[in-house]
Amino acid sequence: MDGFLQIRSATKMYRTPEGGSIRALDDVTLHIRSNEFISLLGPSGCGKTTLLKCIAGFEDLDHGDITLTGQSLTRIPAHRRPFNTVFQNYALFPHLTVERNVAYGLDVAHVERKERTRRVGEALEQVGLAGFGARMPNQLSGGQQQRVAVARSLVLKPKVLLLDEPLSALDRKMRESMQIELKSLQHSVGITFIFVTHDQEEALSMSDRVAVLASGKVQQLASPKEIYDEPQNEFVANFVGTSNIFKGKVIAKEGRTLTLKTANGRELAVASDRFGVGDDACAVLRPEHLKLSGEARDRAIKGTVTQSVFVGSEMHLHVDVGLGRTAVVRHRHNKGSTEAAYGPGADVTLYYTPEAAHVIECKGA
Amino acid sequence: MFERIMSSKGWWRLFQAYGLVFLIFLYLPLALIFVYSFNANPINMAVWTEFTFDWYKTIFFGAGTAGSFDAAFTESPDRIFEVVRNSAIVALSASTISTVIGTATAIAIRRYDFVGKKVYQALLVLPMIVPDIVLGIALLIFFVGAGFELSLLTVIIGHTTFLSSYVFVVVSARLAGMDMSLERASADLGAGPLTTFRRVTLPQIMPGVVGGFLLAFIISLDDVVITYFIAGVGSQTLPLFILAMMRRGLRPQINALAILLLSFTFTVAAIGLYLRSRKS
Repeated sequence: MDGFLQIRSATKMYRTPEGGSIRALDDVTLHIRSNEFISLLGPSGCGKTTLLKCIAGFEDLDHGDITLTGQSLTRIPAHRRPFNTVFQNYALFPHLTVERNVAYGLDVAHVERKERTRRVGEALEQVGLAGFGARMPNQLSGGQQQRVAVARSLVLKPKVLLLDEPLSALDRKMRESMQIELKSLQHSVGITFIFVTHDQEEALSMSDRVAVLASGKVQQLASPKEIYDEPQNEFVANFVGTSNIFKGKVIAKEGRTLTLKTANGRELAVASDRFGVGDDACAVLRPEHLKLSGEARDRAIKGTVTQSVFVGSEMHLHVDVGLGRTAVVRHRHNKGSTEAAYGPGADVTLYYTPEAAHVIECKGA
Repeated sequence: MFERIMSSKGWWRLFQAYGLVFLIFLYLPLALIFVYSFNANPINMAVWTEFTFDWYKTIFFGAGTAGSFDAAFTESPDRIFEVVRNSAIVALSASTISTVIGTATAIAIRRYDFVGKKVYQALLVLPMIVPDIVLGIALLIFFVGAGFELSLLTVIIGHTTFLSSYVFVVVSARLAGMDMSLERASADLGAGPLTTFRRVTLPQIMPGVVGGFLLAFIISLDDVVITYFIAGVGSQTLPLFILAMMRRGLRPQINALAILLLSFTFTVAAIGLYLRSRKS
């Protein structure tokens, strides 16, 4: 176990205006490694930003502890923690030039002028803004301001860089290029990045590990691939990517292959090491694992197309399969093919390989 | 319907005329005393005889220097310098103290949540709407009861009580537009609370602080009602002095003095407006 940055049983309550209280963080335990790019992913209100603020020292925990290489940070105020934050709105000082902004932390620490100038220059170069030092923040584009914010933090050589939804204000193209830049920056500076986002694609594409948060709890902490392929519960399956989730009871087991019987009597074949006959289970099928078939097949699901959405590279078909939920299927279309066949009302057959299905415990099944 | 009326030419002319009349209504009295202050007629200022600087001269150099023949009505320059000095001391001290108190309060109110915050805020603004005469009497009773001798000090304290409210309101407005994450960013970059205040908060709210100071300064400078109650012997301010002069008759020197005071106030206000436009 790498004991770099450990969050143990972190709990944080907020009073609501009505006088009640909500748990923004509910017994969160998280071990963050050195030099890793970890994302805190979740919907708004899941506690991800609160957790970041607690790590930065802007908020205090009600219970639990945060330690850095074994030392508790509880009594250390924000301005003495070896962490720096890139804020959602960048929070550049509007009355200072880019150079003074980046130099701020060094000024405050009374770093000698020569070294300060050198390090500021380096940091600006690192983010591709050499030559922009004399500008004022409001003379920069959103992407450039973002880079100044990153440079301002990195110039202090923090042990951890905290990023609070830093890309959310950028347009799509800029966001994608900043994703790549941030990732390679993290590689080159070799420090831990803790990246808060509600954008699952962002989290999956940039991170070494992703912590999915919901209602103040860590739902799953794993590599992006694992999060996507083997979501631990229904929340993760739904929040990360699109999932078709079918609830049922295991009625037969043969090797790794289980037969799941749904409430309306359909039988689905799935593969899993867990679960035995009689257990409730949910089958998670990603849209890309469901294939369309013209003819009848073994383990196929019959259904009717209710909606077909053209998204460019593929068609998203919503298929009523009589399981209480419409299944979403991704169908790669070929140029010139007869797509009309999959318009609303078309009868289709879906099939999948049992190995493609991921089985999870059902909540309240 | 309304837009159509507005867009018809006849109506538009009428509205323009109305606007002009309104401005004349506002500024004609000021224009009049401006003109009168240069009128040499010592008996009836409304009848123009000839152009003169005499009234201004008597303010600065006293009667006789300008050959004024009603020297009995003219105060000595020493007296005028004394009241101007009093006014300057009061206005500068009261607005400086108020700026410190008002700014600190505004920052605290913005930053912290506490029980009764709304009530506290309302109480802070209240002195602005309490009738001056009530505040004046209340302060007088307080000072007498507390054993203060009425002096420049009591005037300064009295002004500070309500000027702090003005500064509080002006600085609060500026703070409301300030991104609070800037202070967080500063702390995040290693700055302690004092450094953050000096390097980030203060530069951000400076236009508000300066604006609040200038506003307080002008209000203090021309306050009559409250000052009237709490100024003692020897702590007469310029407005009280003008009022006293008026009692002895409407003398032309008053016009000149009024124009000087007005010019000064306008200059201060202009500086305030300029700073505000430059910083935002």
